[in-house]
Amino acid sequence: MHIPDGFLTPPVWAALDAGAIPAVGYFLRRTQENFEQSRIPLLGVLGAFVFAAQMINFPIWAGTSGHLVGGALLALTLGPNAAVVVMTAILVVQALVFQDGGLLALGANVVNMAVIGVWAGYLPARWLGRRAGSRRMAAFVGGWLSLMAGALFASAELWLSHVAPAGALFTSMLGIHALTGLAEGAITAASLTAIERLNPGFVYAGLGSPAPAASRIEDGKPVARRAEASGD
Amino acid sequence: MTHGMTKTIRFFAVVTAALVLLGVVIASSMPDGLERVAEALGFASRAEQGVAWSPFADYEAAFVKSSWLAQVTAGALGIALLWGFGALLGSTLKKRRES
Repeated sequence: MHIPDGFLTPPVWAALDAGAIPAVGYFLRRTQENFEQSRIPLLGVLGAFVFAAQMINFPIWAGTSGHLVGGALLALTLGPNAAVVVMTAILVVQALVFQDGGLLALGANVVNMAVIGVWAGYLPARWLGRRAGSRRMAAFVGGWLSLMAGALFASAELWLSHVAPAGALFTSMLGIHALTGLAEGAITAASLTAIERLNPGFVYAGLGSPAPAASRIEDGKPVARRAEASGD
Repeated sequence: MTHGMTKTIRFFAVVTAALVLLGVVIASSMPDGLERVAEALGFASRAEQGVAWSPFADYEAAFVKSSWLAQVTAGALGIALLWGFGALLGSTLKKRRES
């Protein structure tokens, strides 16, 4: 979903570049204020994992491939504020070092995948995680919505740039990404399940669900206060 | 650091290494969703096909002959940069809390 240079008209990419800088600055400040110290070692590990996962395209349907974007995955493990910052770093490295995604379109890609992709995955998953029985389903839905929201914003930006008629553009973009989103949701849910097995209670905090009694023990000592992912 | 956190870090480090070492072999070269839509709706040609000014363009190290090794080298660089960014961000967060 990385928009290259040339697709967007100057008013569209310039407005998104101008908007992305203060937005990421705001989420960086929120990270500095709220980030939970125990999750600091994950900043680099998960950033590197999502970068590597984005390198690997897998077949989706009829000659089309897709790859994990990872907005919901980062949001539910690092908290949404830090997730925006880490995803922005991934997109900057991809554009500057690997020429994946345009330099002028970097603001658009940051808005679509780092800001919208993170929050559109995080908020519904958190809401579902608090109410629905299955946290795995909440993570799946978060992953799917994260990709769909990013595709919706990308479609709107392309439509504003007059690349194609609205009907065909929105239908094609959302149709293809609805399928890719199934893989995004499945990988998000599988990753969070793996983390929960390795580090009990960790994902429960990210989803805003009460950790079970058995998971409130760390290093043989009861955890006095349930950890909260940043951004609350 | 808790035992669970150590295990989580090890798990993602192994999966990340596997993705770069093995994933690049099986990765699909078909167009992704946006590229496919751009081709179907006729605006793919708008993409600026400039020169490959980066030696790591398209996730391949231009100075490495083997295609697999060129992709692994590019992947390893990306992982190092993102890991480094995470460590830098983490150290600023620690300093901020301590001060």
